[in-house]
Amino acid sequence: MRRPSERKVASRARAYPGHMRGIWTWLRSHPWETDLALAACIVLVTSGQARGDPPLLAVGVVLAAILLARRKYPVQAFAVALVIAGVQICLGLAPGGGYYLGAWQPSAADVTIAILLYTLAAHASRRTSLIGLGVCLLFSAVAVARWGPAHPLTLATSADGAHSVSPNGVALAAAALLCSVCLTAWVLGDTVAYRHRVAYLAALERRAARLEAERDAQAQIAAAAERARELQERRALAVEDGAARLRRIERDLHDGAQVRLAALALTLGEVKETLEAAGQPDDDDHARTVMLIGAAHRNAKETLAELRDLARGIHPAALDRGLDAALGVLAESSAVPVTLTVTITERPSAAIEAIAYFCAAELLANITKHSNATEATIAAADTGGELEMTVSDDGTGGARVVPGGGLHGLRERVQTVDGRLVVASPPGGPTTVTIRLPGHA
Amino acid sequence: MDGEQVSAGRTTSRIPARMRIVIAEDAAIMRDGLTQTLLRRGHDVVAAVGDPAALLEAVAGHEPDVAVVDVRMPPTHTDEGLRAARAIRAGHPSVGVLVFSQYIEAQSAAELFAGYPGGVGYLLKDRVADVSDFIDAISRVAQGGTVLDPEVVSRLLGARSKAGALATLTAREREVLALIAEGRSNIAIAETLYITGGVVEKHIASIFAKLGLAPSDNDNRRVIAALKYLES
Repeated sequence: MRRPSERKVASRARAYPGHMRGIWTWLRSHPWETDLALAACIVLVTSGQARGDPPLLAVGVVLAAILLARRKYPVQAFAVALVIAGVQICLGLAPGGGYYLGAWQPSAADVTIAILLYTLAAHASRRTSLIGLGVCLLFSAVAVARWGPAHPLTLATSADGAHSVSPNGVALAAAALLCSVCLTAWVLGDTVAYRHRVAYLAALERRAARLEAERDAQAQIAAAAERARELQERRALAVEDGAARLRRIERDLHDGAQVRLAALALTLGEVKETLEAAGQPDDDDHARTVMLIGAAHRNAKETLAELRDLARGIHPAALDRGLDAALGVLAESSAVPVTLTVTITERPSAAIEAIAYFCAAELLANITKHSNATEATIAAADTGGELEMTVSDDGTGGARVVPGGGLHGLRERVQTVDGRLVVASPPGGPTTVTIRLPGHA
Repeated sequence: MDGEQVSAGRTTSRIPARMRIVIAEDAAIMRDGLTQTLLRRGHDVVAAVGDPAALLEAVAGHEPDVAVVDVRMPPTHTDEGLRAARAIRAGHPSVGVLVFSQYIEAQSAAELFAGYPGGVGYLLKDRVADVSDFIDAISRVAQGGTVLDPEVVSRLLGARSKAGALATLTAREREVLALIAEGRSNIAIAETLYITGGVVEKHIASIFAKLGLAPSDNDNRRVIAALKYLES
């Protein structure tokens, strides 16, 4: 049955510091109330000790007032209190003596000075507080020396007579008491100051760490922005380079393979016609040669047509004359009649023109295949350095951007240069696709 | 509408014995090939040049029957040939101009044909492979006729087939219109389609009635009217 009692003790031990902590917390968070209470105590005690002596009473009130100022002006408050104590010592203004220790009984003034020393140690620099401590100890010694010999102490301890204590012994005891009070106050204050300094340093360290982190973050943001700008420039170069390369491939095809193939077809055509004119009706070998040449001739022509489609898919030649010319070619070959309006004052870059062209081509193909439209409109205009192209039809609508779909592919293509593609296509139509592209990649 | 439908024998008969021709083509292999071919067929290639300036100079110097002009020429390789052709048409109306191009653009054809009736042609470059047909086209242009690539016509017909008056044409009428747009005479159309001249005339009357155009005896005007309608 011991266990419950042990638990009880343990729980009380735990409760006690918590309780004390509560009081401390309250005191710390209510400095004015604390100081007012202290000042009131000082005034009450002083008035009791003064026994109607007006100078002593005045000293008490002044000390109480100084107490109220201690937190804001610790050094000044302490200095003023010391001056008062010095005046008190010089003028011999001492309370009339206590019940037990007479003149050596610590007065309210002594307590006040101890509190102020504590405040000084807690708030001022250690050097200042050490000087304060030294002055306090000096004053204690002076006070003891001043009053000590003149006031032998008589103790009324029992009924059978008075015992007298030697003045030197009393003086030593009083000095020790005063000194220990001063030292205790200083040590307590210094401890608080130490804790403050530690906390302050920790706060400084935290602040430094936070500033460093902020600086790092800002540096990272700046680096990221720089990187983004760099990538943007590189992307623009890559996009324009890609467009230029496609154009070059088309031109190489035109100047190279296509021309050679056309020349070959021309030669084959001549051979074919010459053979056809020269042959005899019953010559089988000749007939076979004519057939083979005819096949080669046909192949060459078909290859020419395929090569032309391929080259057009790579880079439509009409784009070299501008977007309006290229869109015109698209419009004229569209199965759905197209009304084309192009208002371009400043030509966009080649890559932008190519993107706009291929978007228009794909959208027109969609209109022909899916929309059941009877007419379509393409409007392209440049405003504020941007190219805006609207492709609309009077079809059945319901077009949506779905992953992997044609419109999605167009949007991705448009987004490679930070462009936008917006589809408005309610069920039942009409459909309007708006594309916005920057003037340059 | 394939050019091969027109046989060499039939068309050769209409070609004048000796045409004076200027060739403008920047690719040497093609320029030489064409020159050799035309020389072998007994024609006179008075100049073979590679850029628009030399072309205009040669045309001014030789006043040929016809100039055969590639669309893409230096310096920009876009439409220099087309612009030179228009300059020849404006400055030398007696010189026929046959433009040939890697790509067919109806708009370019319309610009080329606008304003000056006759003596003009627009063909896809591939057509050189059918040598006799190509030389036939050159000669028709040299004689003040009009040649339009079947591709242009079929594209315009195909493009407008879903809407408009052309949708009301029958398949046969469309074939006839395409041949009209190529500048063929009624007799040539009849031969090509293996029908009689009377049937061709009936088709043409029907086409022009459906298109709201007054019929005319002038082949060139018919082509221009049809083309203008198509490109409108």
